[in-house]
Amino acid sequence: MDGTGRRQSRLDVFIARMSAQKAFLEDVATKIADIDGPVLELGLGNGRTFDHLREILPDREIFVFDRSVTAHPASIPDGDHMVIGEIRDTLAFCGPRVKRAAALVHCDLGTGDPTADLAKAHWLAPLITERTAPGGYVATGIALDLPDFDAHPRSADAELGRYWLYQKRR
Amino acid sequence: MSRLDSFLRRLTAQRTLIEAAAAHVAPLDGPIVELGIGNGRTFDHLAALFPDRKVFAFDEYFHSAVGVLPPAECMVAGDIRDTLPFALPRLGARAALVHNDLGAGDPSQHAAIASWLAPAIEAVARPDAVVITSFLLPFTRSVTLPLPDGVKPGRYHLMQLVPQEGAAQI
Repeated sequence: MDGTGRRQSRLDVFIARMSAQKAFLEDVATKIADIDGPVLELGLGNGRTFDHLREILPDREIFVFDRSVTAHPASIPDGDHMVIGEIRDTLAFCGPRVKRAAALVHCDLGTGDPTADLAKAHWLAPLITERTAPGGYVATGIALDLPDFDAHPRSADAELGRYWLYQKRR
Repeated sequence: MSRLDSFLRRLTAQRTLIEAAAAHVAPLDGPIVELGIGNGRTFDHLAALFPDRKVFAFDEYFHSAVGVLPPAECMVAGDIRDTLPFALPRLGARAALVHNDLGAGDPSQHAAIASWLAPAIEAVARPDAVVITSFLLPFTRSVTLPLPDGVKPGRYHLMQLVPQEGAAQI
């Protein structure tokens, strides 16, 4: 229920989710100035978030991972920065291409099914840990068990929209 | 403004508009009709706003997220051009509110859809039904209602059918 006495709809939750995602990314963009390394976007989807990342981090290299490219033509990364294939496979072997550990990893791979998301979190957490620079951030739509990271406080939008922000200890 | 910003604005405007339409519909009995369920977010919002009414969703097929599928009796599968004109027995009463977000943004496609959709809506909606639509529909008699604050003109329209006699009662 919200202030109007009705239950929260999936539209409410989705707006909260996108608002939380935008707020986390904009907050992190100001905090990673002193952290070297690229941004990894896990899941291109429609490309809206990629478009936002390149707008708020114009000088940062952004690598995008997805099994196929289904984005709007206005938001497709160039061939050097689009890693196509199952992320479970490619993330582990992207070192030669991505080179440095990431200052920011953004992950919006959630399916909405709690069991599928648990399974995904299980293989994703160690791969993300390996690819994140000390002091770097992970913004994610799936809760991740990341022992080397601290979880940041979450806004009301992040609670409702299920978004999490972690920072790797230096 | 990134595509994420523009998407968030569109979602928020859509929610504001649906809630404004709901206020107009409060005194009008009848079910709610959602044309094109897509991922089910708008359907779920309509269901949350109208907990005491049936909300029917029409689409070619249903692939919404887990937990948002309408009950089977309210899920009308098939080509909307075919099903909508014959839906009155299923609806049980003339619809009070119709939400149309069909089409993919191409003006020619919208014109083609509008030509069969307007009479199909008139066949199953109250003579004073409220219609939220992403493009104007050529009803026999209708008025365009003012948009609420925060909704820019052009992207969505709020229309109301006008009965053949007694337009002044609207």
